[in-house]
Amino acid sequence: MLFADTVVGDPAVHKPKIILIMVMVATVLFTLFGLNDTIFGEFMRPVIGEPKESGFFGNASIGLVMAIIVVINIVLIGFLPFRIQILIVWFELLLLFLTFFYSFGLNYQFIQSKIWFMITQGVFTTLYISAISIILASVLAIVGAIAKLSSNGFAFAIASFYTSFFRGLPLLMQVYLIYLGLPQLGYVIDAVPAGVMALTLCYGAYMTEIFRAGIQSINKGQWEASRSMGFGFGLTMRRIILPQAMPLIIPPTGNQFIAMLKDSSLVSVIGVWELMFLARTLGNKDFRHMEMLITAALIYWVLTVCLELVQSRIERHYRTASH
Amino acid sequence: MKLNRRIFTFATGVALALSASVSFAGEAMDRVMSSGTLKVATDANWAPQSFLNDENKMDGFDVDVAREVAKRLGVEVEFVTPSWDIITAGNWNGRWDLSVGSMTPTKSRAEVLSFPEVYYYTPASVAVHKDSAAQSVSDLDGKNVGASTASTFDLYLRKDLTIDAEGTPAFDYKITPGAIKSYKDGTAAMDDLRLGDGVRIDGMVGSLPAILAGIENNYPLRVLGDPVFYEPLSLAIDKGDTEFNDKLAGIVQEMRADGTLKTLSEKWYGIDYTTAIE
Repeated sequence: MLFADTVVGDPAVHKPKIILIMVMVATVLFTLFGLNDTIFGEFMRPVIGEPKESGFFGNASIGLVMAIIVVINIVLIGFLPFRIQILIVWFELLLLFLTFFYSFGLNYQFIQSKIWFMITQGVFTTLYISAISIILASVLAIVGAIAKLSSNGFAFAIASFYTSFFRGLPLLMQVYLIYLGLPQLGYVIDAVPAGVMALTLCYGAYMTEIFRAGIQSINKGQWEASRSMGFGFGLTMRRIILPQAMPLIIPPTGNQFIAMLKDSSLVSVIGVWELMFLARTLGNKDFRHMEMLITAALIYWVLTVCLELVQSRIERHYRTASH
Repeated sequence: MKLNRRIFTFATGVALALSASVSFAGEAMDRVMSSGTLKVATDANWAPQSFLNDENKMDGFDVDVAREVAKRLGVEVEFVTPSWDIITAGNWNGRWDLSVGSMTPTKSRAEVLSFPEVYYYTPASVAVHKDSAAQSVSDLDGKNVGASTASTFDLYLRKDLTIDAEGTPAFDYKITPGAIKSYKDGTAAMDDLRLGDGVRIDGMVGSLPAILAGIENNYPLRVLGDPVFYEPLSLAIDKGDTEFNDKLAGIVQEMRADGTLKTLSEKWYGIDYTTAIE
C-alpha cells in the first residue's frame, strides 16, 4: 500500500469528473484508431449503416460506444474488493494479449507438433544451464564479497577489478570472448561450459555487490560483540552476520535468478540448443518464426512466473523470521 | 591469512570445475579416425541446406552430403551448430572437424580456412516484393538492399567479392545500392522484405533455392531477372592438415563421379546444381 493509513475515501474511478475525462479520452483514442472495418463495425451496423461507408461518423460512434463499455467496466471493477480487482484485471489483460496473438493467424498444429521438443530439449537445457550458473555464481559472489570487505589489498584489488570488468562488459560479448578467446590461450572450451562460465562470471559480479551490501548493512557492533566473545571470522560470519544479512540479500538475489534465466538465451549464439536457439531454428524450414517465437516467449514467461512465486515465498519466510 | 587461503581454494575449485571439459587440438585426420566420429559444423537455420526436420533432427542437402562423407570415411557423424560467423572465422581448435555449410571459397576466407573441394554451385539472385515496380536488377540502384551479413551476397553488394575456386563463372557488379542492410541470415532479410515494397528494404540478394523456398511458403516475393552470379560451394576445414584435405577432396570427386551428389541435389532442390553453369 502506498499510504498505510486508515483514511477511507471514494475510489478515484467513482468521481464523476474522472469518469467523464476517461470517457472523453477513450472516445478520442478509439476514434483515432478507426474501428470501422473491424468486427466492432459489424456490431454497429444497425446504427451506422454500411461500416465501410460511414466515415468519421462511424468511427466516432463506434469509439463512443467502446469508450462507454470500457469505462463501465472500470467503474464496476472499482466497487469490488482489492483481491478480486486484481484477479479480474489480470484476467482481462491476459485475454487482450491472447486476442492479440490470435489475430496473427498462427498455425496451432505446428506449435503442437513442436512444443514437446521445445520443452524436453529447450526448457531442459535452459534450466540446467541457469541452475548450474546460479549455484556457481552464488559461490563466487560470497567469495567476492568477503574479498571486497577484507583489509587485504590483493584480495580487494582482484575482487574490485573482477566486478568492475564483468559488470562493465555486455554479457553477449563475454560469451563470445570466452568461447573464442580461451582457445587462443590453449584451452578449447565447449559451448555449454563456455556459456555457463560467462553467465557465472557476469552474474557472480552483480551478486558480489549484493552480498557485499548485505553484509555491510549489519551494524559494526555485531562484529565487535562476537569478537569480544572470542568468535573467529568464520563463526561470526556463519552464526551472526549472514543470518541477519539474508533477508536483505534474498530479494535482489531472486531478481538476479530471474534475469539470468532469460539471459541464458544469449548462449544460443554459440550453438547450444536451448529454448531461444530452438525458437529461432524450429520454424525455419516452414517459415513459421512467429509461432515458435511466441511459444518460446510464453514458456519463458511461465518459467519466470514460477520463479517469482518461489521468490515471494522465500521473502515472506524471511520477513516473518526477522520480525 | 586464513581467509586468503580459503579464497584461493574456492577460486581453484571453480576454475577446475569449469575447465573439466577441456581438450587439446590435434591433427584433424588422426582425431577423426581415432575417435570414430566426424564432427560437422552446420547452420541449423538454413533450409533447405540444413534445418531441423519434423522429427527435430538435422536434415537437408548439406546434412545429407556430410552423412555421405562420413560414411565413406568409415566413421559416425555428429552435428554441431555454432553461428555462421564463428564457423567462417576459422581457428576451430579441434572443436569440429569439417564444415559442410555451402561455404563459398572467397579469398579472405582462404586465409583462415582450407577448401578441399567444391561440391555444388548455387545461383545468387535478387528478390523484390511482388508489388515492386523494379523490372531489372539495376532498378535497385540507390535503393535499400538487404543481405545476410558476412555472406557472399553482402560482399557482392559491396563490390568486394573475390571467389578463387576453379571453374567459377565470371560475373560483374550490376547493382549500386544506396544502402546495404545486413541481416543475421537470409530468412531475416526475407522477413523484412515481405512487410511490403520499400517498407524496410526494397530488395535483397540471396541464394535462389532459399528465395524459391520462401515463395513456395507464401512469401509475397518475386525473383528479379537472371542470377547475378553463381557461387561455388565447398567443404571447409581448418588450415594445416593436407592429408585430411586430400582425403575429403577425393571423396567429393568420387561422389560426383558416381552420381551421388546429383541425386542429392535433385532430392533437395529438384534441379542438378552440382556442375558449373555457364
